[in-house]
Amino acid sequence: MTKVSTIEPVAELTDAPVKTGARLGLWLTLPAQLLVLFIALFPILMQVYISLTDWSPLDGIPWWRAHELWTGLLNYADLMADSRFWGALWRTFFVMAVCVPVQFLLGLGLAVLFVDDFRGKRVLYSTLLVPMMVVPAVAGYMFFMLFQSGGPVNDLLSLFTSDPVRIAWLSDPDLALIAVMLADIWQWTPLMFLILLAGMISVPQDQQMAAILLGASWWRRFFTIVLPRMKSIIIIALAIRVIEIFKIFDTLFIMTGGGPGVATETISVYIYKVTQQELIWSYVAAIALAILIVLSVVSVFAIKRMQRGQGT
Amino acid sequence: MSEIALENLGKTFGDFTALADMNLTIANGEFMALLGPSGCGKSTTMNIIAGMLRPSHGAIRFNGQDVVDVPMAKRGVGFVFQNYAIFTHMSVRENLAYGLRAQGAPGAEITKRVKAFAELLQLETMLDRPAAGLSVNILQRLAIGRSAILKPAIFLLDEPLSNVDAAFRAVMRSELKSLQGQFGQTMVYVTHDQLEAMTMADRIAVMDHGKLLQVGTPLDIYNNPADTFVARFIGAPGMNILDGRLIQKDDAVSVEVPGIGSVDLPPALQFAARDLNGSDVQIGFRPEQVSATGSGLTMRVGLVERIGARTIVHLEHEGIAAKAVLPADVAPPVARKDWTFTVPEDGVRLFDPVTGQALKARAH
Repeated sequence: MTKVSTIEPVAELTDAPVKTGARLGLWLTLPAQLLVLFIALFPILMQVYISLTDWSPLDGIPWWRAHELWTGLLNYADLMADSRFWGALWRTFFVMAVCVPVQFLLGLGLAVLFVDDFRGKRVLYSTLLVPMMVVPAVAGYMFFMLFQSGGPVNDLLSLFTSDPVRIAWLSDPDLALIAVMLADIWQWTPLMFLILLAGMISVPQDQQMAAILLGASWWRRFFTIVLPRMKSIIIIALAIRVIEIFKIFDTLFIMTGGGPGVATETISVYIYKVTQQELIWSYVAAIALAILIVLSVVSVFAIKRMQRGQGT
Repeated sequence: MSEIALENLGKTFGDFTALADMNLTIANGEFMALLGPSGCGKSTTMNIIAGMLRPSHGAIRFNGQDVVDVPMAKRGVGFVFQNYAIFTHMSVRENLAYGLRAQGAPGAEITKRVKAFAELLQLETMLDRPAAGLSVNILQRLAIGRSAILKPAIFLLDEPLSNVDAAFRAVMRSELKSLQGQFGQTMVYVTHDQLEAMTMADRIAVMDHGKLLQVGTPLDIYNNPADTFVARFIGAPGMNILDGRLIQKDDAVSVEVPGIGSVDLPPALQFAARDLNGSDVQIGFRPEQVSATGSGLTMRVGLVERIGARTIVHLEHEGIAAKAVLPADVAPPVARKDWTFTVPEDGVRLFDPVTGQALKARAH
């Protein structure tokens, strides 16, 4: 009897303050949490609302009265049949599929070269990072100049041919996209290099030493020790570039403006044109939401896959 | 199986001398401990033997063959790192098989050898476990197994027990020693812990400031330290070193320690010190050899530490400190009182006060 009475109060004493503490914490952080939730959710909710109407700023009614122009899912139905949208989406994925692997392999190769010390490493290192620091609009202008039909790129190519090369890079529907991708690779390989180098440096030296002492060749060490240990950082680097390339706009817009025709029109350029030139805001809202949903689904699957891969 | 010979081996980093003219021959199948405080050059020596560092001068020979120009991958040296450097992104099996795979062994051979070593190291139940979550003693066994599976002639271990807590160290020490017995390789073991060196090594090389001070069996180094550094470094607590003066009376030579007392010398040391009457000398004796009976030296008792099996008595006289270790069954002296004790003749060692070198005992 006495034993029971001594144990019970102890159990209550240890339990009770934890519960009240947690509840107090919730109340104290609630305003901040609501604020964060509002900031994150409000633009999305507003978009959902507007995408279900035919509202545009030219209609003369404020956005919260957009329900007067309710159209339901009409914008989404239009989107499904919009070949310009699908073209832009496909082009964006194409740029991604070319640029990200190229940037990754170049960045990885550079990281391998820079992980060991050599003469002039510091100078070369800073030089390599310069493209990343150039304002994208300026980079766009630089490449616009480079790829003129009388520009340096053609002059360089002319060195290898008998006749002077006069390729109209930016007005050829096929070549314009290549020029745009080259510009992106030039500007963003350094970022890939920087992240991968950081990852490579953090691979424990003694593990590599151990592998050498066990007789492993450079390639074996690279594929069995260095790359597997860099896995998380590689995922981060790839994710950053995939997300960024999906939003590719500034350099490209200055180089080609999405043209010739729609030859270099990516999702961002298309959205810009519909918003700023055609002013169909409700339709833009529908596009943006559709992309958000697609991207979310894709990312969830991608992250799940990567996590499963990491476990083994 | 291999004999390692270091000849005039040296390594400098700019102005800093990490290793100065080291000469040491490690016999085939021997367990040699490189012992010294941090920065003494023991790890540098080890890294040079492994081939991670190139010596500034001198030669390393494995079985008489100079290997300075042999790259580390080709030296046939097994290396166990301080933190084991286990490939934590692989399974235990993949770790064990790594070296064999790297050297292109056939698949059946790899499976067979991995199985055999897993049994030997009692790892067979965890072969398919990821190496990341293993406990330290298993990591140690795996690290040794991963190198031993290639049957290297030489095994180098770089402070493998320094990350382990004290209670566990004793277990790992005996495990390591028995593993060496099974593999029979030449082992070089770097440590700053004299207990590890004393319990495991066949011979110990004591180093300090890039210099090799003494090489010998553990007991030899304990009993006959080559200089005052080794005398103080080996033993817990280390040897007492007191400044004194040689006094010759008739035929007998004794050492007088001013204000503390005098100690008689054993015949062998008497002979060595016979011509040095009146000169300064340092006298050394092990705290364990202090006897509470008789007379000879008197010092004031400070702290008395009773630690079960023995009692450590801190002694002091005008800034000169010494320690005595008494068995637990001997009544310890009273603190803050003068205490008279003796040191048996054969426990006395003499050192040159300028160079610190031991005065060699000499027969006639």
